[in-house]
Amino acid sequence: MSNPALLLLQDVLEEPKLIDWEWIKENFWEDIVPALQGHIFLSFISIGIALIIALPVGVLSARYRKAYPPVTAVTGALYSIPSLALLAILISIPGVAIGPSPVIIALVAYSLLILIRNTVAGLDSVPPETIDAARGMGLTNRQILFRVELPLALPIIVAGIRIATVTIIGIATIGAYINGGGLGTLIFDGIGRQFPTMIISGAVLATALAIVADLLLLALERYLRPWARARRT
Amino acid sequence: MIEFRGVSKTYPGSEKPVVNDLSFEVPDGEICVLVGPSGCGKTTSMRMVNRLIEITEGEILIDGETNTSLSGTQLRRKIGYAIQQIGLFPHRTIAVNIGTVPKLLGWDKNRIKNRVDELLDTVGLAPDDYRDRYPAELSGGQQQRVGVARALAADPPIMLMDEPFGAVDPITRVGLQDEFLRIQKDIKKTIVFVTHDIDEAIKMGDKIAILKQGGVLAQYDTPANILARPDSEFVSSFVGGDRVLKRLSLTRVGEMDLERANGGTDDLLRINGGLTVKDALSELIGSGHTRAVVEKDGENGLLTFEAIEDLMGGTSDEDSNGGESSE
Repeated sequence: MSNPALLLLQDVLEEPKLIDWEWIKENFWEDIVPALQGHIFLSFISIGIALIIALPVGVLSARYRKAYPPVTAVTGALYSIPSLALLAILISIPGVAIGPSPVIIALVAYSLLILIRNTVAGLDSVPPETIDAARGMGLTNRQILFRVELPLALPIIVAGIRIATVTIIGIATIGAYINGGGLGTLIFDGIGRQFPTMIISGAVLATALAIVADLLLLALERYLRPWARARRT
Repeated sequence: MIEFRGVSKTYPGSEKPVVNDLSFEVPDGEICVLVGPSGCGKTTSMRMVNRLIEITEGEILIDGETNTSLSGTQLRRKIGYAIQQIGLFPHRTIAVNIGTVPKLLGWDKNRIKNRVDELLDTVGLAPDDYRDRYPAELSGGQQQRVGVARALAADPPIMLMDEPFGAVDPITRVGLQDEFLRIQKDIKKTIVFVTHDIDEAIKMGDKIAILKQGGVLAQYDTPANILARPDSEFVSSFVGGDRVLKRLSLTRVGEMDLERANGGTDDLLRINGGLTVKDALSELIGSGHTRAVVEKDGENGLLTFEAIEDLMGGTSDEDSNGGESSE
């Protein structure tokens, strides 16, 4: 029974095991959770910053139509740069250190096009007669923007946030390449060590995070739109 | 009172005015209907009252004061505004929609709530059923009622209505028109009402301003006078070849001076006194009768072709050469 040759064979057979649950158990708090936290941090900060830029730019582009084509040209160009190339360019800029900040800059750059376009599309979708009625009743321009236009544009804006978030959670994995942290560290380390468990846990968690974020935003969108629920009943 | 004084509107980069030297007065408590073909500037004229469009020349006075003495938004909060496309806020409940202007004016919550319920009652929508619904849950006719209620919310003395019953089917429209006239009897607002439909103008207007291309006032008078004495070929063709019949629709048979019917009326056609003379005449001809009985104040009146001719006050001469075929 205890033939050494057989034992050796067993070892060899066990080595390419896809998921090593023991490793996951042992490294859960030390490696996996921090990587997930880092990923959530990167994505949220980036979406947050991108929104702070995209909402006003979107509102202005909708108002001053001439500004819209150049805005889409610039953000469209940013969107079309391959992500790895963008990171490489960013860290070659003097003053930008390796780490999370160039990753965040890149993620913001990627989401601007989607967010601005959806903000403009959302504002365009507001029925002109609703705005006319609002103005005719004596709402000021600011009241019309905040009480009528933005709430009505919200579903399309949130739809943009959903797409941008899912995109960003995916791209953020590459950030680990320049020490940006996040689930990408598990994937890159796993590749380096030829250890599938790490690669798979990184990939599965990144996917799960994207799906959860998408569902949460969908729920938020529904919650913010009670009038659309009413229409269906 | 609303006074137009030499009001013109010319858009920058255009030579031709869209509204040209418009002058007329709308007395307190009256409905003035602006009517005319498309491109006659009727909506533009109306929108200059609350300065959604600014005047190029001339001025509009409201109760003797120029409408530029307040800021645009302040002015608009004092003037009711109802439009064909209604423009209800789809993301707000009916109650919030109606309470929009009162809220802007800083009314307290209870006062707004009471006012909303009162107005829903006025326009014939049960407050308990409707106040918490969203516009998309209402039919077109119900939405237009809400649109009118919203325009009335802060009880403005003046209202602007741009085809407010235009977005519904003809039967619903007639119902809404009748109802609004009934409401107007109580509230006596000073109203500028825009329509392209001469029949609606005749029905709704205390006065009618007929505008022609280029925003020129063609005639300003009561519906009866415009129908009886159109002062240009444009007006007579605009009011249509059936203007004599239209005059008949201005009077109800119950309001006519009718000879009293004495006995032997059992086999005669009976006509409801609430019908317009036009509808009564149609019924009379359609049934093959020459006379009909109209019950009025418990008495029977005799409606005859002669009685109808008398009502028109010897216009038969004018009719033979005054129709659209003239000239």
